[in-house]
Amino acid sequence: MRKILPDLCLVAAMPLLVYSVHRVFLETPNERQMGTAFKIFFFHVPMGWICMLMAVVCGIAAGVQLRRRSTMGAAVALAAAEMGFVTGLGVLLTGPIWGNATWGTPWTGDARQVTTALLWLVIVAYLLLRHYGPRSSDRLAAALAIFGAVNVPIIYYAVKLWKTMHPSTGVVASLPSEMWASFWPALAGLLLCCLGLLGLRIRQLVLAEELDAAWVQAQDPA
Amino acid sequence: MRVLRQALLLLRSELRQELRDFELLLTASFFTVVLLAMFYLSFASLQSKAHLAAIPGLMWLTIAFVGVLTLTRVFDREREADTLRALLAAPVERLAIYFAKAAMTLAVLMLCCMVLVPGLWLMFPAGAAFAEQPLATALLALLGCGGYVAIGALFAAGLATGAGKNTLLFIILYPLTTPVLMYALVTTRALLDHHPDLPAYLGQMAALDLILVSIAALLFETVLVGGGPRSTSPKGQVRRTLSREPSA
Repeated sequence: MRKILPDLCLVAAMPLLVYSVHRVFLETPNERQMGTAFKIFFFHVPMGWICMLMAVVCGIAAGVQLRRRSTMGAAVALAAAEMGFVTGLGVLLTGPIWGNATWGTPWTGDARQVTTALLWLVIVAYLLLRHYGPRSSDRLAAALAIFGAVNVPIIYYAVKLWKTMHPSTGVVASLPSEMWASFWPALAGLLLCCLGLLGLRIRQLVLAEELDAAWVQAQDPA
Repeated sequence: MRVLRQALLLLRSELRQELRDFELLLTASFFTVVLLAMFYLSFASLQSKAHLAAIPGLMWLTIAFVGVLTLTRVFDREREADTLRALLAAPVERLAIYFAKAAMTLAVLMLCCMVLVPGLWLMFPAGAAFAEQPLATALLALLGCGGYVAIGALFAAGLATGAGKNTLLFIILYPLTTPVLMYALVTTRALLDHHPDLPAYLGQMAALDLILVSIAALLFETVLVGGGPRSTSPKGQVRRTLSREPSA
């Protein structure tokens, strides 16, 4: 069951994503003030949440990797960082489009924008260190992931002190029911898709490691 | 107590080495002066209102640049002579090594602040608030540099134990030290504005430094020499970690 869980997630995600696209673009009415641009919300917010989730998963897995020198921990941390990179990029691309239509400017330097951008930079730094770092850089990368996860609330609070004009979390709660009905399928579809890809990538990384170990053993049977 | 005594001994050795040639102090303070001159040429023509907004950024950008230079050099010395390994093998608490290196870097950065802050004050009239509140300015510099060094010393040490790739410190350090630098920016602006909440901001910076130092101290030994047992496969065979470190 555990082995086919990622495939099941992807299979479940496909109809959900198709349904959510249909619902968002054909059945959900336009928002009064923002118009069509508001439809980005249904993909932008879930991607933002998933990016944060992946950063936290990466930090926790990195902690397990450091504590127990676990192969699985290292694989989960790397896979979560890669998913965080993709979803973070999605947030950073869709956010300015929405912001430009709503505020008249793509970038306002608002707390949540800056936090997401910096979190994404930490994820990129983690991936660069994992791929191009020296020997034993995996431990260093794990420490970076832990610091990155700890940094998220701190950056958010610091920038909030500075200035903020982003919609508060209350906006999501105040959505009318028909918009909620379009939001949840989009969130579920994207989350299942990400979890499926995460599972597949973890499996691939662990297999690659086992293959490497088998090759080393074959080279030196003694 | 033992850790503190060992850290002081190591710091004394670092300082003695530095006092032989003043390499770190001279290069870091010269770099600070160069940056100040570049900032002056770029921003002196702006209005004084713009200076007020620019000074916090100029100050902490300089610290970020000089900090990386200092951290790289502090650990390069160990790398060139391969003494970090010897230090790790010596009967010294690893935490003492971290605190000694961090204190040395902090000392250099504080010296740079002694050049930087009067420089900003002289070049930009809006920086006069630094002279009006010298104690708060000194505390701000100490707390800002302290948080930066807390993270920097951990990652510079981690990179120093590997072969080459020292340039990665730039990639790691700037995104990670952003919270400290953001807080320092906010607090510097509060200082320049004579904001009544300045003591509260300084208190929050101190708390942030404490958190960062605690996490870095907890991770230092694990990052440098590894920790915990290796995980085992279901068959009981020892598996290698998902890394490029050589198998034991």
